[in-house]
Amino acid sequence: MMNPTETIRSIQNNIARVIKGKPAAVEMTVVCLLARGHLLLEDVPGVGKTTLAHSLARSLDCSFKRIQFTSDLLPSDIVGVSIFNRQKQAFEFMPGPIFANIVLADEINRTTPKTQSSLLEAMSEAQISVDNQTYPLGQPFMVIATQNPAEYHGTFPLPESQLDRFLMKLRLGYPMPEEEKKVLERTPSLHPAEELRPIVTAQDVLDLQAQADNIFMDESLTDYLLSIVQATRQSELLALGVSTRGALALNRATKALALARGRTYCLPDDIRELAPIVLSHRVMVAHAQGLRSRGFEQAECIIRDIVDSVPVPV
Amino acid sequence: MSLDQAFRLTSILLAGVSFIALFLESHLPGWLTFLTGVALILALVRVTELTGDPSPGARTELSTAVWNGLVILGFVGFWADSLMSGELLPAGVRFLLVLMVIKLFTLRCFRDYLHLHVMSVVVMLAAAAMGADFWYFPLFVVYLFVGVWTLLLLGITKQLKGPDPSAPVLASQQETRGLYGRVTPQVFRLANELALFVFGVTLLLFFALPRLQAGFYQNGQGAAIRTAGFSDAVDLGSIGPIKRDPRVVMRVEPPGRGPDGKGRLYLRGIAFDHYDGRSWVNQLSRRRAVRETGPGIFALNGSQGDRGRPERPSFQLKIFLEPLDTPVLFGAPFMEAVSGNLPAVQVDVSGSFYLPFPSVAPVEYVAVSKSTAVLPADLQPSPVVYHEAFLRYFTQVPARSDRIAALARTVVGQERTPYGQAMAIQDHLARNYRYSLEIPRAEQANPLEEFLFNRKTGYCEHYATAMVIMLRTLGVPARLVTGFLATEWNEYGNYYVVRQQDAHAWVEVHLAHSGWIVMDPTPPSEDIGDMTGSWQGWASMVDHIRLLWNRVVVQFSAADQLAIVQGVRISGATVGQKVWGSTSKWFTPPTSWRERIVDLYDRSSTGILAAGFIAILAGLCLLLWLGWKQSRYGRLFPKGSIQGDRRAVAKLYTDMILYLSRKGVQKPVNTGPLQFLDTIRTQWTGAFPLAATITELYCRERFGRARLKSDEYIIAQNTLDQLISLTRKQDGETEKTGAGNGI
Repeated sequence: MMNPTETIRSIQNNIARVIKGKPAAVEMTVVCLLARGHLLLEDVPGVGKTTLAHSLARSLDCSFKRIQFTSDLLPSDIVGVSIFNRQKQAFEFMPGPIFANIVLADEINRTTPKTQSSLLEAMSEAQISVDNQTYPLGQPFMVIATQNPAEYHGTFPLPESQLDRFLMKLRLGYPMPEEEKKVLERTPSLHPAEELRPIVTAQDVLDLQAQADNIFMDESLTDYLLSIVQATRQSELLALGVSTRGALALNRATKALALARGRTYCLPDDIRELAPIVLSHRVMVAHAQGLRSRGFEQAECIIRDIVDSVPVPV
Repeated sequence: MSLDQAFRLTSILLAGVSFIALFLESHLPGWLTFLTGVALILALVRVTELTGDPSPGARTELSTAVWNGLVILGFVGFWADSLMSGELLPAGVRFLLVLMVIKLFTLRCFRDYLHLHVMSVVVMLAAAAMGADFWYFPLFVVYLFVGVWTLLLLGITKQLKGPDPSAPVLASQQETRGLYGRVTPQVFRLANELALFVFGVTLLLFFALPRLQAGFYQNGQGAAIRTAGFSDAVDLGSIGPIKRDPRVVMRVEPPGRGPDGKGRLYLRGIAFDHYDGRSWVNQLSRRRAVRETGPGIFALNGSQGDRGRPERPSFQLKIFLEPLDTPVLFGAPFMEAVSGNLPAVQVDVSGSFYLPFPSVAPVEYVAVSKSTAVLPADLQPSPVVYHEAFLRYFTQVPARSDRIAALARTVVGQERTPYGQAMAIQDHLARNYRYSLEIPRAEQANPLEEFLFNRKTGYCEHYATAMVIMLRTLGVPARLVTGFLATEWNEYGNYYVVRQQDAHAWVEVHLAHSGWIVMDPTPPSEDIGDMTGSWQGWASMVDHIRLLWNRVVVQFSAADQLAIVQGVRISGATVGQKVWGSTSKWFTPPTSWRERIVDLYDRSSTGILAAGFIAILAGLCLLLWLGWKQSRYGRLFPKGSIQGDRRAVAKLYTDMILYLSRKGVQKPVNTGPLQFLDTIRTQWTGAFPLAATITELYCRERFGRARLKSDEYIIAQNTLDQLISLTRKQDGETEKTGAGNGI
């Protein structure tokens, strides 16, 4: 395997061939993968959320399943179901689409909370329990969920507990006009993601994840990170601060970002950059007004303010 | 050398230095010296052999129980030792050494080394308490250096490895430890600077605080030299056993250049008047206080019987008396005054001077004496009438001394004058009797007759006693005097060295006109071991240094302190004078100044001596250090593993921030280094490449746990310099443009 940084860069470049003009979002997607995290993509329909997930999956040589969440989707449609096999005279477990390395949970907030929560165990423990039987999921395992902003028709907002299990929440936004033009000029024969060739194997991904774990974080930076987390808990603007899981997530994401940037150590800049992405969906704004999506935007602003209020170690 | 190993090494060296100090200061039993030496050498070998591995398998390990048993055994031995010898301190020291040996064999964990440090401190203190020899000083300096090193290494290793540095380390940790757990030039320099600093402070304290009259510098209890012959009653033959003891009792500095080492100097102790056939008793021992006529000056006011005699010049002897078990103050016959820093002085009827009690510390005083000579009137026979009481004391003879009286009459023959009789007896004894120290303590009833008629060999006491008794049988008043006969001249310091073996007894005869005169019937002894050649010279020099040590270090007092200050002031004045003199040559030379300075120099020569001594020591240390630094520094330690850069680059970075902020590029506290770099790029593109270099090095080192190479550090330094010069250049330009605009 080549230099980890080059590998990561080539994955990013691969994805960028499809997702035009969003290098930051692409980078964060890869970082999320390296940090063994799950990704929540939230934006208005039609800006490339599904395509991003699809391109990432295509860039890795591993299994990919897509689940289109609808209001009548049942948990067994995700995790699988035991069916009576007449020949064997026994129940046989038919694995659901969750048994894959990359799972795209498309429009996750369109389904009922019951079905949403069936993802919980899979996301946190990387295993599935059906009929008193536990089935481990393959590694690497990553859930990329997309959702439309709340208040659109027929949505069930994700509960906090489930939001907390996503490492990052990204927004793509509309592309710049030039980039959009490039998208339009593309030959419409195939889905653009289908053209991509895998860059790395599943084992490579596991190796990269292990390397990300070994990235060095100075003690002063750990303190810095914790003081940011502490500040969210003490802020009057937030009803709920960042949990320990959130601090852990930021820690892991920081190391993965440092690896992606070609360093063997973290910098305060990494933490500053990641904090809004990693923390904003884990907090509750105290006096949320208007639309729920506005609440998320507010949270992001508040997190940015908090990060700016904490001095960086020199 | 790894820090860990260095720490072990210095710990054992510390113990070694303290042991050597103790060894030189006190008399240790041979087996203990040997044992400790072997233990130290073994420990040293072990430390230098194994590199970093704290658990050697090759060593044969005795179980803890065995060692604990040995400790208990040592403790029991200590009690037995102290009970038998009756001295707690030496027994304690021996026990301490036993403990140290056991500890040296069982050095395992970190705490053991701490124990070793504590022990070495106690041993060092014990060495100080046991004696105040000159050797203590250089050893103390070495101890100080090693101690500072040990403490430093202790701190560093503790920091590197956490609370217990001897705990086993993982392979990965070992690697990182190997990376920066070494004695680097920085550490080396720091340690030496610190040691030098401590030494300087010690010296300053030493100078600032005069010695107390008791303390660790002084000779402790039991260290006073046992003398013989200076108590109120002395058995005949008691001086003999000490005549082989070479210990120095006092040093005597005659005025001026002295007698060039050829003369014999009598140092009078006590006079005895009553002889009972076996021992001498001083019946006139009632002492009275001598009045203090000036500060520190105790003088007799007009000695008795002085009338009618021509005044003879008095002379002074400067005497440095070691602590003795007698309060007698020695001096040339016959003492008239004593001056020095003494609490009080007493005198008895026969003119012997005393301190109120034996001093436990060395005493320094000046004895003023006036010698007597035989007047011509005493060479003529003339009837003299002595006071009855006088005769009762000084013509007393033991019972049944007829044989001696007969001998005396035969010896003097036709001589009529007391002086002539005394000379005859002196000649007779010196000629017909043999000097020897091989005399058993006389067991028989009358040792004097044994000497005179049977054995005919003896030493000073026998000779003097014989002469006194023989004179007394003839009716001539005489008395026995004990003291020292100084013959050993030290040409380096121009003083007499008086040793225990110089103890002597002689005779004082009273003549009607001249008064008491000194006579000595003892022939010069032949069996004095002659130290010749270079060894003698070397020994004299060492003795001189020892005197200086006692003088300048042990006895350092407020007066000396003052003298040093004065000395420094005077040397300053001399320098100033010289400078002034050279710049104003065309003026009349100020002779009066010069005279005054010479005068002052004479008066405060000890101060200048002390100042010079300290200055030379300090200079030597500095020279040694510089030499070490020049010759070994660069080569001993490979470059590139600089320890102290972690802070140094952070400092460079903060400096950079400071310079940039002066140029208006502020770094808010909440921005990271990369973000700030972006700010620089947008606000001052010219400085960006330089700042990028520094930032990169800084980040790598500050957050990346990476050790910078020394050349990288130099790059960072140079880059910062460039940045600073860039800001200056810009300053110049803005000024120019500003000025242009103004015009």
